[in-house]
Amino acid sequence: MEQTFNPRIIGFLCNWCSYAGADLAGVSRLQMPPSIIPIRVMCSSRVDPLFILTALLRGSDAVLVAGCHPGDCHYQYGNYHTRRRIVLFNKIFETLGLETDRVRLAWVSASEGGRYRDVVTQFTEHIKEKGPNPLKKEIFL
Amino acid sequence: MTKVGLFLCECGPNIAEAVDLDKVTEVIKGDKKVALIERHRLLCSEDGKKFLAESIKKNGFERIVIAACSPKQHENTFMEVMTRAGLNPYLFQMVNIREQCAWMTPDKELATQKAIRLIRAAINRINYHTPLKQKEIECSPDVLIIGAGITGIETALRTAQKNRNIYIVEKNELGGVLNRLQSLYPGMQSARELLQKKIKEIKSHPEIKVFQKSKIKEILGFFGNFIARIETEDKKEVKLNIGSIILTIGGETFVPAELPNFGYKKFENVFTADEFENSVINKENLPQTIAIVHCVGREKFGYCSKICCANSMKLARLIKEKSKNTKVFQFYKELCLPGKEYDQFYKETKEQGVEFIRYKNIEIGDHKIDYISEDEIKQSLSVDMIILSTGLVPGKDTQYFANLLNIPLDDYGFFKEEHIKLAPVSTITEGISIAGGCQGPQDLNDAVIQAGASAGRTLSSLIPGRRLQVEAKTCEIADSICVGCGVCVRVCTYGALTIDESKHISVVNEVLCRGCGNCAAACPSGAARHRHFTNQEIYQEERAMLK
Repeated sequence: MEQTFNPRIIGFLCNWCSYAGADLAGVSRLQMPPSIIPIRVMCSSRVDPLFILTALLRGSDAVLVAGCHPGDCHYQYGNYHTRRRIVLFNKIFETLGLETDRVRLAWVSASEGGRYRDVVTQFTEHIKEKGPNPLKKEIFL
Repeated sequence: MTKVGLFLCECGPNIAEAVDLDKVTEVIKGDKKVALIERHRLLCSEDGKKFLAESIKKNGFERIVIAACSPKQHENTFMEVMTRAGLNPYLFQMVNIREQCAWMTPDKELATQKAIRLIRAAINRINYHTPLKQKEIECSPDVLIIGAGITGIETALRTAQKNRNIYIVEKNELGGVLNRLQSLYPGMQSARELLQKKIKEIKSHPEIKVFQKSKIKEILGFFGNFIARIETEDKKEVKLNIGSIILTIGGETFVPAELPNFGYKKFENVFTADEFENSVINKENLPQTIAIVHCVGREKFGYCSKICCANSMKLARLIKEKSKNTKVFQFYKELCLPGKEYDQFYKETKEQGVEFIRYKNIEIGDHKIDYISEDEIKQSLSVDMIILSTGLVPGKDTQYFANLLNIPLDDYGFFKEEHIKLAPVSTITEGISIAGGCQGPQDLNDAVIQAGASAGRTLSSLIPGRRLQVEAKTCEIADSICVGCGVCVRVCTYGALTIDESKHISVVNEVLCRGCGNCAAACPSGAARHRHFTNQEIYQEERAMLK
């Protein structure tokens, strides 16, 4: 009998907005799949694209990067850098013929617990439909 | 092998009921990296903190992992306990098994699995932590205030205290815009009297040094240690060492020369509100009818200047005081009169016979005003004099100081505050505050409030006799790997990174670095390292999470 697939998603959350937003979702007792494994970073701009690649190669089914809304970054412009890096990352994946929808960038503010729940729920559903990440099997390091 | 202690907090029933801590203990026990697992009912309580400190000492733990609530809640609490117990507080990782685990799902089994993963990640990470030092540097408590309008003067008076020198530099005469005003709304007290009193106060204050008709030539350095070069009235150069800077250079009133429908400079009886109050009202016998036109320039700038409605009513009262029989019309688009005094002020102005007309469109002609009224009817009114109530715009020097101090301007050309709601008088550059009309249009009350706010911020950040504490989780550059490409310099918002021209490598100013880690992500050679969030630390976290 086949087991139900519970995706495992690494979530990089910025300390000031998204991590606080995720905390708020918890405090408000909003229910969501426990698929996100959070890694706290000070700013989403700390997320080196290699972190994302490593996660995918090591078997993470997807990666979520969440930061403050554009214009609200605690460090002024960090999230604009993040945005460019993620676009570029997906571009490279596209060129290599790999899936580009396993990496998602989301803006979640400290007051948006509900939004965090929605992002997590939708992303998890999407990955559930897609199935496990094949990269770990396809690429050997 | 370093001795790592793992503490599980039950958080009353909060964690204990949603996560199977017995199972967590059982699974983690097999991990050789953990010396001992301790459990407490409520670790953040006084009893819990005592338990933590005693356990650290008793078991000789060298590194600590605590699985409890969000680090945003109690990371600092536990770091303090560690410091008291003699451990470096950065040899510590907190695992959030409450907000982002126990409280997110009703499924105890899944929550337990997630908790185990998170704890494993922290255990894996903790061995890569390095002890960080809370650094301190020498700093100057002295303050430079640029601009001696009423905001600058107020700021100087509020920052002045013993053991601290306050320097206030003004390019013109002291007093700024208040020199041009007759009276202040809504109390109608004399602007001049108030200003003279304040000027006397700063001039005689032992801790305040005033530089009139002086120019700021150069400012170098950073928070705690700025050096400013000033050219004084008699063309001498003065060098000042200061710790922080407050910009109070004010704004300007808009001159509507470029808006042809207002007829400014085209007809001799059209004046701006500023000209009227400063000179016209003193010289002439006032004519029979005067119209005051509001919202001049508002569409062009894209914001309401907040002060012109009340100011126009003040002018109407000054006119009525001087010449009781002059008929005054107020042509307005929207009335903006927030605040507790202003409904009454409006009512009283109306009672004096001042007429309010709402317009949709306006065209000023020779001794007449053609307008389209609120109900879309084309009308005309002949008047003897027209006063244009113009809005406030950024001052001419705003750009100069923005460049000099590396602070950004907002979409309208005013200095950009660090956060419009939460940090309205700070800028992104540590040690530089803004107050008054250079931050945005505002009246005297707002300017004085901002003066107080920036003074408070400055006084609490640099205290005489104390050294400046510097963020520990900053970036560092590995000299031997850096090739001096300058990518990190370009991504740094705070100007904390510069290229050392003699060594051709990048260097970090740890006072300016706020520790966002952007440079570490951008560095192509791996020379930029973000302390406490190093690549290795994050890879180890990921690795354990995905096992």
